Amino acid sequence: MNSITKKRTEMRDAFAEILVELGLKYEKMLFLDADLHTSTKASEFKKRFPDRFIQNGIAEQNMFGVAAGLAFEGFIPVPSTFAVFASRRALDQIAISICYPNLNVKIPGSYVGIPTSRAGASHNSIEDIAIMRSMPNMKVADPCSSNDLKAIMRKAMETNGPVYWRISRYELPEIFEDEHSFEWGKGVVISEGSDVTLFGTGIMTDFNIRAAKLLAEENIMAEVIHLASIKPIDREMIIQSVLKTGCAVTAENASINGGFGDAVLEVLAEEHAVPAYKIGVRDKFIESGGIEELFSIHKMQPTDIGNAAKQVIKKKFENI
Amino acid sequence: MKKLSTEKLQELEDKAYEIRRLAMEMIISSSWGHIGGAFSMADILAALYFHEMKLDPEDPLMENRDRFILSKAHASPAMYAALALRGFYPEERIYEYCEPGGLEGHTHILSAPGIEASGGPLGMGLSVAVGMALGLRQKENPRSRVYCMMGDGECNEGNVWEAAMAAAHHHLDNLIAIVDYNKVMAKGMLWQMMSIEPFSDKWEAFGWNVHEVDGHDMEALVEVLHKARWIAANGKPNVIIAHTVKGKGIERAEFNYKWHTHAPAPEMGDEMLREMAHNYGKPETGYSRLKHGLNKQSFYGGE
Repeated sequence: MNSITKKRTEMRDAFAEILVELGLKYEKMLFLDADLHTSTKASEFKKRFPDRFIQNGIAEQNMFGVAAGLAFEGFIPVPSTFAVFASRRALDQIAISICYPNLNVKIPGSYVGIPTSRAGASHNSIEDIAIMRSMPNMKVADPCSSNDLKAIMRKAMETNGPVYWRISRYELPEIFEDEHSFEWGKGVVISEGSDVTLFGTGIMTDFNIRAAKLLAEENIMAEVIHLASIKPIDREMIIQSVLKTGCAVTAENASINGGFGDAVLEVLAEEHAVPAYKIGVRDKFIESGGIEELFSIHKMQPTDIGNAAKQVIKKKFENI
Repeated sequence: MKKLSTEKLQELEDKAYEIRRLAMEMIISSSWGHIGGAFSMADILAALYFHEMKLDPEDPLMENRDRFILSKAHASPAMYAALALRGFYPEERIYEYCEPGGLEGHTHILSAPGIEASGGPLGMGLSVAVGMALGLRQKENPRSRVYCMMGDGECNEGNVWEAAMAAAHHHLDNLIAIVDYNKVMAKGMLWQMMSIEPFSDKWEAFGWNVHEVDGHDMEALVEVLHKARWIAANGKPNVIIAHTVKGKGIERAEFNYKWHTHAPAPEMGDEMLREMAHNYGKPETGYSRLKHGLNKQSFYGGE
């Protein structure tokens, strides 16, 4: 990859842009909202395509059922809400009305993990990766930047079947070109290393890049791998990397229970078990607070990742 | 509307009997299924599949067809039977009920042609129907109708009323919900478990046209379906509250929650089929696979 660093952007702005781009390309695309379109920044789509914007009120269970019905009629519905409501409130509808018949419904989940607002546990989604990846037919992705998000959404529209992806509310440096493309089950090696692999998804890839810089100061060479495609996951890249480094840290902007870290560790447990540690929210509800403060409380900062890396490296040598 | 001839009415009655007979064959052969809810809606299905709905078994996804969603998807044997009788697949397929790769226990779109959605968790079908009705609107198809068959007990679910609100909000007069109001739930009487009354007032308050009918009176059913499609297409969705008897047609299962889920053993099933045939004045052929024996785990129950 080209490791250019551009200006910092917020994914929601990219979401607004790409929705319009896709709306122009796919006339069967319909946007479904549940009273949040200005928060998710879908208002531009509404302005451009008023006839293809369906307001559902505060009724997510109904919205996802309606999405299923529209998909049966040949449309490509994009039911949009906060990730907590998609994953928890409307789970049964997504599982049985959408995933079971493998319908062409594209689900963006916004307000994910730590960086949302000061709303607290009710609105900060930390279980959505685990919940969404548990359902057959569902594909799951978590982008690390605006260009990554756009590439995922372009791919989602080309993909047949249900797709869920996350949209973070956090300013991030752009690490991909405008032409960046995304493939299901394909990871990206951000930087090569030999001592430890830092597997990341979503915004945590940026944290891993910063952790790797801290580790380099101590002459520890970390390999940084970005796995936007959580399901399917790049088994080959995961295995090849740990064959070289012999230990791993995973980082996700979510709960570690059943989420991205477990998706990586499942591969390692089946193919090549190595010392590993999962960075993420450790079986706790998120509380209200400042964003950086919360990342520190939950030990998810680059320094925490660096410390975890040193621990797994130590275990690797103890095992020898 | 033009009255149906006596012959046509008799034909629909016969279809309703055949739906029940085949549903019973499925439930006995798979040793699993819901007699109560399948039998209470059998007459309504006959009226829909053999009179009211525009369908083509040769072209199951024909654009201008009517859509039917079984929200009470556990009553699947009756629907699978209706589809087989209507020619969507060979009748023999009914014996694949609840077998791997066959007809799923709860209606599933990938099981067979003619199934329009997947279901099972109660209270969700009406939302899917709202989506289809909106989709037809979006495609400027004014002729097709979306029918959604619901159970009375599932109207305890909040999702039903979210969907009811949405249907009225979007003025979906191409949507016709039918509630199989058989008054009995899985473990007791509806009024004891969680009452839904005043039921028609609820729908009316949500902005729907409400029609009530005896769900076992074929002539009345045909009339109310005609009315809901054409006469009451006034910008409001339509609901037909069909008063029915749970387990209608099998005396010991009628109005009896103990027969909500359970399947009879082949010998008892045979007896029940003969009783039903006797009551309907049909040949008492009994259970067609009585001699096949049964070597699978059974889920017999009931009385």
